[in-house]
Amino acid sequence: MTRYQNMEQLTGDFYTQNFAKTAREGSLILNLGPQHPSTHGVLRVIVELDGEYVMRAEPILGYLHRMHEKMAEVKTAAQFIPNMGRVDYGHAMGWNWAFVGAAEKAGGIEVPERAEYVRVITCELNRIASHLLWWGAYLLDLGAFTPIMYAFDDREKILDILQIPTGSRLTYSYFRIGGVAQDLDADCIRRIREFIPWFRSRLPMYKDLVSDNIILRKRIEEIGVIEQDVCRRYGATGPVARGSGINYDVRRAAPYSVYPKLDFEIPTSDLKCARGRYDVRMAEMEQCLRIVEQCLDMMPEGEVLVKGAPKPSWKVPKGEAYFAVEGARGKIGAYVVSDGGKNIYRTKLRAPGFCNLSLFAEVSRGTILADAVAILGSLDLIIPEIDR
Amino acid sequence: MEALFTGLGALYLAKCDAAKTGQAFQAFLPAGFLVRAAERLLQADYHLEDICAVDCAEGYVVVYHFDHFETPGRLTLRVLAPHAAPTVPSIAQLFQGAEWHERETRDFHGVLFEGNPNFIPLLIDPDMADCFPLRKEEKARARAKDMLEAGEVVFCHPAFTLMTPDAPVEGNESGGAKPATA
Amino acid sequence: MNAIPAELLRILIGLVAVAASVGLIGLVMVWVERKVAGHIQRRPGPFEVGPSGVLQPLCDALKLVGKQLFMPSGADPILFWLAPVLAFLPVLLLFLPLPVGDGLQALNINLGLLLILAFSGLAVLSVLLGGWASNNKYGLLGAARAVAQSVAYEIPLLLSVLAVAFVAGSLDLAEVVKGQGTWPWNWNVMTQPLAFLIYFVSALGETNRAPFDLPEAESELTAGFHTEYSGMGFGLFFLAEYANMVVVCSVATALFLGGWHGPVLPGPVWFVLKVSALMLLMVFARWTYPRVRFDQLLVINWKWLLPLAVANLLLTAFFVKLAQFA
Repeated sequence: MTRYQNMEQLTGDFYTQNFAKTAREGSLILNLGPQHPSTHGVLRVIVELDGEYVMRAEPILGYLHRMHEKMAEVKTAAQFIPNMGRVDYGHAMGWNWAFVGAAEKAGGIEVPERAEYVRVITCELNRIASHLLWWGAYLLDLGAFTPIMYAFDDREKILDILQIPTGSRLTYSYFRIGGVAQDLDADCIRRIREFIPWFRSRLPMYKDLVSDNIILRKRIEEIGVIEQDVCRRYGATGPVARGSGINYDVRRAAPYSVYPKLDFEIPTSDLKCARGRYDVRMAEMEQCLRIVEQCLDMMPEGEVLVKGAPKPSWKVPKGEAYFAVEGARGKIGAYVVSDGGKNIYRTKLRAPGFCNLSLFAEVSRGTILADAVAILGSLDLIIPEIDR
Repeated sequence: MEALFTGLGALYLAKCDAAKTGQAFQAFLPAGFLVRAAERLLQADYHLEDICAVDCAEGYVVVYHFDHFETPGRLTLRVLAPHAAPTVPSIAQLFQGAEWHERETRDFHGVLFEGNPNFIPLLIDPDMADCFPLRKEEKARARAKDMLEAGEVVFCHPAFTLMTPDAPVEGNESGGAKPATA
Repeated sequence: MNAIPAELLRILIGLVAVAASVGLIGLVMVWVERKVAGHIQRRPGPFEVGPSGVLQPLCDALKLVGKQLFMPSGADPILFWLAPVLAFLPVLLLFLPLPVGDGLQALNINLGLLLILAFSGLAVLSVLLGGWASNNKYGLLGAARAVAQSVAYEIPLLLSVLAVAFVAGSLDLAEVVKGQGTWPWNWNVMTQPLAFLIYFVSALGETNRAPFDLPEAESELTAGFHTEYSGMGFGLFFLAEYANMVVVCSVATALFLGGWHGPVLPGPVWFVLKVSALMLLMVFARWTYPRVRFDQLLVINWKWLLPLAVANLLLTAFFVKLAQFA
C-alpha cells in the first residue's frame, strides 16, 4: 500500500508467517480477529483473499485457552464441576451434565428420578437460551441489529428462571455427582409454566419478521454447503450435522437420563446450507419447549440428590468412562480415566464447537468474505468451548 | 465389529459395556496399522469424535474415539506411543478433523503425529509450546491396565500384556515401566 | 456595483445557515436515530442527559471532539486527513440549491440539480481516499466496495432524476417544485412512481445506509473505510453521512413529493415534514433489515434498477414528446 517504515509490520506473527508461506502471489492476507466483531470473542481466522473471494482460511485458536484438562488433574471430581460452567457459557448445563455423567458412570452412581427430570428441564431451558444467543448474534453478523434485543429479552426470562435453583445466570455449576444442587421450587416451576406459552407465541413472530425475510434468505440459502461426508470426516455433530440431513442426536442415538420416555422430534434439514442449520436450531427451540412441558407433567416427587452422594473429596474409582450429551452445539463428551487416586488421572473434554469449526477451512474455500462470515456464524461458535 | 479389524495386526480387541464405560468396542493396534484401520472406519462411515492421549507408565496411550451416525456405538482405538520416541502416524489425510485433535495432543503431551499436514501448535502459544502440560512425573504415572477398561476380550495377541489384568508386573514395551504405587 | 455585494452577502448568510443547520441536523438525527432504534428494539434509547436524552448527541459530539486524533503508522498523512474534510465540505455546497420554501433558497441557479448530483459524486472520492490512505486492509476493502457501489448506484439515481427533469422541463429544483401542486395527486410521485422507487433505493445505496451499508459492514470489515479514524476524523464522516441523507431526502421531496407544497401549513414546514418522513423511513430500514451481500447489491443495481430506470426514462421521454405534439 503506502510506505512501511519497518518491515516487521509486514511479516506478522508465527501463524501469519506460517500461513503466508503457501500464499499465492498478489493475494491479500487478512487477519480476522482475534478482535473482530464477527468472531464472537477471540477467535482468529487468517484468510487469503483474492479480491473479496476467500481462497484459503485457517482458524487460529488458543486465545482463550485455559487448560481445563490440566485443572482437572489438580482438583477432585467435585471440585472440577465449576470449571464446566466456564467451558461453554452458552450451554453450561450441557457441560455440567457431560462431566457429572462421566463421573457417575465411572463411579456407578444412580441418580434419583426427580433429579433426572430437573436436569432435563434445566438443560433444555439452557439450550433455548443458547440458541437464542446464537440467533441474535448471527443476525448481528448479517447486519440485522434488532433481533438480538428480542432474543435477549427472551433469554433474560430463562436466565431469571434458572437463577432460582442455580444461583447463577451464566456459568452454572448446578449439577452434582449424584443429582443436582437444589430442587426446583414452586415459584420456579410456575415461571417455567408461564414461560412456555409465552415463548411459543414469540416463535411465529420471529419466523414472520426474520426467518422469512427475503434479504436474510438470500444471505443464508445455499451458502456454506456441508456434505454429510464432510461432517463425518470432521466429526461435526449437533445442528451442523442435522442441518446436513444427518439424523443424529445423542439424546436419541445413545439415550441417557429420561429422554427415552419423552416424546420429541429431532429436527433435521436436507438443505445442507447455512439455512438448514438455521432452520434446525429454530425448530429445536420448539422441541425444547415440548420436552420441558412433558417433564413438568411427568416429574415425580422425591429427592434430587442421591442419598450418600459423593463428598468433595470423593475419589473416582479406577476405570474409564465416556459420557456424551447433546449440547446446543453438538455432542459434548467427557472422557474420564481414573487410577483411583484423589484426582482424576486424565479428563478429556470433547467440545462440539472444536470439531464444527475445524471444517470451516474446507467449507469457506472459494466463498465471498461476507459468506465466510455467514458460514462462521452458522456454525454457532463459542470460543471458550473450542479453546477449553 | 471384529470384522473391521481382521488383518490389521490388532493386539487386543474387546467388547465393552456401554452402560458402564460409554464405549462399545475397543481395539489396541500397533501404530503401523493405524492408518489402515482409519481407512476402514472411514469406509464404514464412522466419524471421529476425538483424539486424546493418556500418559501411562508404559507410554502415551493415544486414544481415538469413533462413533457412527446411523448405528451408534462408540469405538475406541488405542495406540501406544513410547515415552522415548512418542510418534504415531497421522490420520488427518483420512479424517481431516483429526488434524486439530492431533495438534492438540502434541501441545498437551508432546506426541508427534507423522504426516499431519499442518503440524504447528494449536492451543498453546508457539513461544511456549514445548511445555507439554499433561505429561506426568515419572513416579506419578499409573499403569494402563490399572485404569483402562479391559472389557470382554475378543482377541488378545499372545505377546500383548498392556491391557491384560493377569499379566506379569513389568510391561514389555516401554523404557520406564514401573509398578504404580504413587 | 451595489448588486454584487448583496449577492455575496446572500451566499454568505446562506453558507452560514447551511453550516449551522448541517451541524444541528446531525445532532438531531443522531438523537432521532438512537431513539427510534431504541424503540424498535424494545428499549428506551438515550434518556439520561436532558429530557428524553436530547442532549446525548451533544455529549457524544463533545467526546468526539475531545478525543485524540490517531493516525496509523505507514498511513499517508495528507490523504488521510484530507479524506474526512473532503467528505464533509462538499455537503455544505449540496445544501445551497435546496428549495426549502417558495423563494427560500440559498442559491437560486437554474442548474441546481446538476450541482447536487455533481458534488455528491465527490463523496466516493473521500471514502476511497480514507480507505486507501489508512494503510489498513479493512479500510482498503471497504473503500473498494464503496467505489463499486457508488459508481453503480449513481447511474439509476441519475436516470430516475432525469425522468422527472424531462417532465418538468427544468434542472432548477425550485422550478420542478413549482410544477407540482398542493395535493398529493398533483405531485410527481403520482406520474413517476417507478422513478421515485428507483431514486429512493439508489439513494440508500448512495448514502451507504443499511441494508446497503457494505463499505462499513461491521461484521465483515470492522468499520470498513473509517476503521482507523478516531475523534472528529470519524465525526466528520459521520456528520457527512447524515448530511447526505438530508440532501437525498430533500431532493426526493423537491422532485417527487411536491417540495414545499401542502395544505394549511406554511411551505417550509411541509418541506421539513416530508424530508423527516423520508429520513425516518431510512432509519426504520436500517434497524429492520439485514445487510445484503456485495454481489447481491450489484445484481440489484445492474440487473434491476438500471434497466428499469432506462425503461422509465425512455417511456417518459416518449410521453413528453407526445404531449408536445398534442
